[in-house]
Amino acid sequence: MSPPVLQLTGLSKSYGHGDIFSGISFEVGSGKTVGLFGQSGSGKTTLGRCIMRIENPSSGQIMMQGMDLARIRRGKLRDLRPSFQMIFQHPEVSLNPRMTLGESVAEPLMVHKRIGMDDALREIGPLIRRVGLRDEHLARYPHQLSGGEVQRAVLSRIFSLKPKLVVADEPTSMLDVSVQAQVLRLMQDLQKETGVSYVFISHDPDVMSVMCDDVLWINHGKGVMYDRSAFIDRVKTRYILDVPA
Amino acid sequence: MSEDVIIRPKTRWMLPAKTADISKNRLYREIAKRPGFQVCLLLLGILVVAAIFAPYISPYDPEAISVKDKNQGISSAHLFGTDFLGRDLFSLTLWGARTSLLIASISVAIALIFGSAVGCVAGYYGGVVDEVLSRFVDLLLAFPGIIFALALLAFMGAGILNLIIAITLSQWAIYARLMRGQVISIKNLEYVQSAYTAGLPDSRIMTRHLFPNAVMPVLILSTIDIGHVILSVAGLSFLGLGIPPGIPEWGSMIGAGKEFLRTAPLNVIVPGLAITFVVLIFNYLGEGLRDILDVHKDQVNIE
Amino acid sequence: MTLLSVKDLNVCFPTGEGIVHASRDVSFSMESGEVLGLVGETGSGKSVIGQAIIRLLPTNANITGTIAFNGQELTTLKDDAMHALRGRVISLVPQNPSGSLDPLVRNGMQIGEIFIERGMTKNTAWDKACDLLVAVGLIPSDRIAKEYPHELSGGMRQRLTTSIAIAEKSCLIIADEPTKGLDYHARETTARVLSDIKTRDNVSLLLITHDLYLAEHLCDWIAVLYAGEIVEIGPAGQIFNTPRHPYTQALIRAMPKNGLVPLDGQSPSLMAIPKGCCFADRCSCHSEICSKEHPDLIQESLNGGVRCHHPSCN
Repeated sequence: MSPPVLQLTGLSKSYGHGDIFSGISFEVGSGKTVGLFGQSGSGKTTLGRCIMRIENPSSGQIMMQGMDLARIRRGKLRDLRPSFQMIFQHPEVSLNPRMTLGESVAEPLMVHKRIGMDDALREIGPLIRRVGLRDEHLARYPHQLSGGEVQRAVLSRIFSLKPKLVVADEPTSMLDVSVQAQVLRLMQDLQKETGVSYVFISHDPDVMSVMCDDVLWINHGKGVMYDRSAFIDRVKTRYILDVPA
Repeated sequence: MSEDVIIRPKTRWMLPAKTADISKNRLYREIAKRPGFQVCLLLLGILVVAAIFAPYISPYDPEAISVKDKNQGISSAHLFGTDFLGRDLFSLTLWGARTSLLIASISVAIALIFGSAVGCVAGYYGGVVDEVLSRFVDLLLAFPGIIFALALLAFMGAGILNLIIAITLSQWAIYARLMRGQVISIKNLEYVQSAYTAGLPDSRIMTRHLFPNAVMPVLILSTIDIGHVILSVAGLSFLGLGIPPGIPEWGSMIGAGKEFLRTAPLNVIVPGLAITFVVLIFNYLGEGLRDILDVHKDQVNIE
Repeated sequence: MTLLSVKDLNVCFPTGEGIVHASRDVSFSMESGEVLGLVGETGSGKSVIGQAIIRLLPTNANITGTIAFNGQELTTLKDDAMHALRGRVISLVPQNPSGSLDPLVRNGMQIGEIFIERGMTKNTAWDKACDLLVAVGLIPSDRIAKEYPHELSGGMRQRLTTSIAIAEKSCLIIADEPTKGLDYHARETTARVLSDIKTRDNVSLLLITHDLYLAEHLCDWIAVLYAGEIVEIGPAGQIFNTPRHPYTQALIRAMPKNGLVPLDGQSPSLMAIPKGCCFADRCSCHSEICSKEHPDLIQESLNGGVRCHHPSCN
């Protein structure tokens, strides 16, 4: 059994007036998806940002590839970056408005492998087509693309670095139902093909039930882990609106 | 793509402009809607051409003293008349434009670049770096601009190079502060965070992701600032502290000609109007630019 | 009695880049006490219909067609007559509640303003405002009334704007994307509030949304919009259980609980409406006639209809 890709132990974050979350511990196996579920303000997004080290946790451990992300130096963190990536909630600000799609998508690979843009685009060409984008999309600017196209471009950008873990912060909550289905299915397919693990943040129980193997339900800063069927049962008892079958 | 809805009746519906859409088409359309702005652009063009080609198009040598022709009014020989030493005022005005525009554009350009760089670094890194840089900027901003330039000039002595240095040093702080504010407002946007999580080096994040998206208000400020600097240089020259004598400059023309205000007013009126005219053009340009680039006015969602 | 009757509504906007046909040949009607859902995705033009009814479209909108409310034609009504109806007889719960609430006005006064304008004293207005806050579940109402909008969560702000809309006991409430941007919990509370309003006050509700769960839970009738036109209309149960238009079918299948089946492609730009059926290039049942001839909305049962050359083909 391979070691978990991510392992959190006793992670806490507090601002001056109180805890956002405390004592969070869980692990994410290779190729698995763990969901972070909760209402707005429950701390799930902050938790995701702490894992990505965009924010700093107050205490606890974040073990990845044998290293504690909460403690390593900036230089070492930068070297590790390709292994863990993030996709965000708002497509309209997910890409630099002044760069074409091609430039945005090729940039991480160009920087990490120190190659030119043409070489980078050639290398990620298959990935770009895999996510359903075509060459004509590459010349466009973000404002000329739909939300679904932007999120797909972001996926190709992220996967060009061959990450082991992707934190997805409500990647489809601003998308229409049919577009959401496209993007989520794409994420599932990419997981099957590359064996990546996801930490999937959402407030939508139906999406969680479809995407996640296990769900950490965060309430008042504390997390309780459920597997998929237990989560579905628990949601049924809490909500009156239509629940997953 | 989701767009925010702002229901504003009685406004013209426009296609929702997504973020900073300054695509060529839209820019041309916006300019086409504003004839005042077009006139300004034209006048600026004429001004710049006149300043560059002053040596070739000025009808007389501006230094040519001809005491017998002193204080003449407007005539076919002298388009703007002559000054108290018989020098052609039109030629003096053209050469003065050259001086003013040269000094103003160089100082503003350097202040802009240096100030923006400092502001960008302060805004991006935050923490101690920001504290130190910001306090230094605050200190500089506490001095009234022209007094600071005056003090520097008194210390360094007169001369065009010293003038440019003094003005640059007194101007850069405002750009730093403005840029810092802009950078802080965009550094938490998702695309900047993505650049960070992709492991891009700080320098790249600042130059490719922060600076181009934050620079617009700073550029607009610089347009208006050129007008202010021209005014300041004229003021300093009027006091005899700016341009060394012998180089045509509108402020020193007013300074030298002020005693003839009642007898031969053209000495003062011509350079005075020139300054007013040029400063107005730059002000109007800056306002117009800000108007054109304000993408969030008049938006309605139709979805 | 038919409360609202919309016939052949066409709305278009001339812009610098072309004419946007936001709404084409939209026709539907509503009875008193009924909930009609206008369901569609981004680019379907559903919001425009709501704005057209309450006459809050920008001045450069070209509107043709009729909108009859209680027998009265709204499109030709004078501005002050329309103003008398707006907020009193027909109310709007706008999208983006944060943008609709004055940040400098206390929550109680956001509602109270309406009553003060009608001549009530400040105290009476405040009390009535607190009653309304209770009605939408914002309790303790006296504390919330004293607070400011920024102290409320997104879901609570949504309920506040809803309470403003029901202040005057209107006959028709137009709710524009009431659950946009809300988390699941807030969405459920909003649904419950709207449901209560409907049963308690016997109000008619025009629900404009892309949230299929909300539509399924609240609506009696649903009109599905695609590229500016109605492609299917019928009772809510029928739309969800036996959808006939391929787009409706695809939309319902795309819901996570129904299998998350993706629908490829994109809806056409409202500036370039294709000849023939708008959905043809994404439809699995697409045949030659679909690209050539634009299908009409054919009534197949009492008030139900579908705009398709091959309905129920899947």
